[in-house]
Amino acid sequence: MKLQFAKAAELLVPSLFHGFGVVIEATILGFLLATVLGMVIAIGRLSTSKIIRGILYLFLEIIRGTPLLVQLVYIYYVVPLLLNLIASMFGFTTNVQIASVTAGIWGLGINYGCYMSEVVRASILSIDKGQTEAALVLGFGKYEALFRIVIPQALRSIIPSLGNYLVMMVKDTSLLAYVAVSELLLRTQNFASQTFLTIESYTFLAIAYLIISIPLSHFIKFIEYKLKDK
Amino acid sequence: MFRLVNLEKKFGDLEVLKSISMFIDYGEVVCIIGPSGSGKSTFLRCLNLLEMPTGGKIYYCGNILDPDLDCKKLRREVGMVFQKFNLFPMFTVLKNITYAPMHINKMKAEDAKELAMDLLKKVGLADKANEYPSKLSGGQQQRVAIARALAMKPKMLLFDEPTSALDPELVGDVLEVMKQLAKEGMTMAVVTHEMGFARDVADRVIFMDKGYIVEEGTPEKIFSNPENQRTKEFLARVI
Repeated sequence: MKLQFAKAAELLVPSLFHGFGVVIEATILGFLLATVLGMVIAIGRLSTSKIIRGILYLFLEIIRGTPLLVQLVYIYYVVPLLLNLIASMFGFTTNVQIASVTAGIWGLGINYGCYMSEVVRASILSIDKGQTEAALVLGFGKYEALFRIVIPQALRSIIPSLGNYLVMMVKDTSLLAYVAVSELLLRTQNFASQTFLTIESYTFLAIAYLIISIPLSHFIKFIEYKLKDK
Repeated sequence: MFRLVNLEKKFGDLEVLKSISMFIDYGEVVCIIGPSGSGKSTFLRCLNLLEMPTGGKIYYCGNILDPDLDCKKLRREVGMVFQKFNLFPMFTVLKNITYAPMHINKMKAEDAKELAMDLLKKVGLADKANEYPSKLSGGQQQRVAIARALAMKPKMLLFDEPTSALDPELVGDVLEVMKQLAKEGMTMAVVTHEMGFARDVADRVIFMDKGYIVEEGTPEKIFSNPENQRTKEFLARVI
């Protein structure tokens, strides 16, 4: 067997470039969604209402107790069917479908949002109670104290760990191949099965991920270092 | 200004304050002394509703206080200084002081800055306006905290052991600022272990033990002529 890296490069690399775009899109949108969800869940779990806390805890247990891949498949295949089923019970005929990228973004966002909410929550709890009290005695309300004084301090301390989640999410976009998103893995699989250039294709795939994740993780280390300065 | 009637505070089964009745007049400096665990801090924190009393009534400026309604309004008029300063670490000294006046009283930035600089001069730290709190000594931080409380133009200030977290040589500067405030007629309630300050500055001294007010009176009476056995024992230990 002769390795044909040149041929693989010529045919596969342009396709991987398109895959890059999909990975970046899914990561950015998924991460934004995860950050927002993480904040909302963290703040909700600090609420005084037992019902809100209970519902969020149950939700977290479900998401953390099931694999991301299963969640992706569930959102892509099952959720549209459930929606159609519910609509039919009310006498409507619908044919809801979720675009594969959309399903992927929601899956990543919800899954990572749950994990990130724990980080956010812990960091909010780690801020000295005196900070809240200092804001309260100046006349700020409970939520003003939280958003103006506590959360900005908490966020500063969690930027490094959120960065690690970002790098993990880039790599986890490979799971979107299973819900038919033409990201890097799916493109490579298709190419390899057509050309039998298995070694070459998957080597290029691994390199493609490294090209994103190594600079990204160094960038995050740099930010962490900059934040420590202050 | 404040009148408390049978104030009680329980944490679960633990009774921290048992039927406290007292008053604080305009312009008065009241020092609260007593052994640790006697409920002094809890008592002070009930005055601005950082702790919600579990029984009794608080009258403020002649009106009965409704803890659910009057919290914010009360706290804007009654400032507080903490044992551990609690300055905002991400803001400069100047912003620590201007932040509440600008966001709560909607003061203009220039006016707030002018006010802050005046207050910093008053506490002797005008040159530290652009430093971050972490660069200051404890005594300096506490003086900034006093300036921050004053920036809201409070009618009264509560001090919760303001010098207990300080190195001994830094205590003097903070007490000096507090004496100055007392001289200017600020109403103050001070929980303190500085007996010298209580004797020199207070109009009235309250001795608390085990959740009760055991004895109260002028500094001369409490320090020279205490009636209660527990007061005598406590003073014998600390002086």
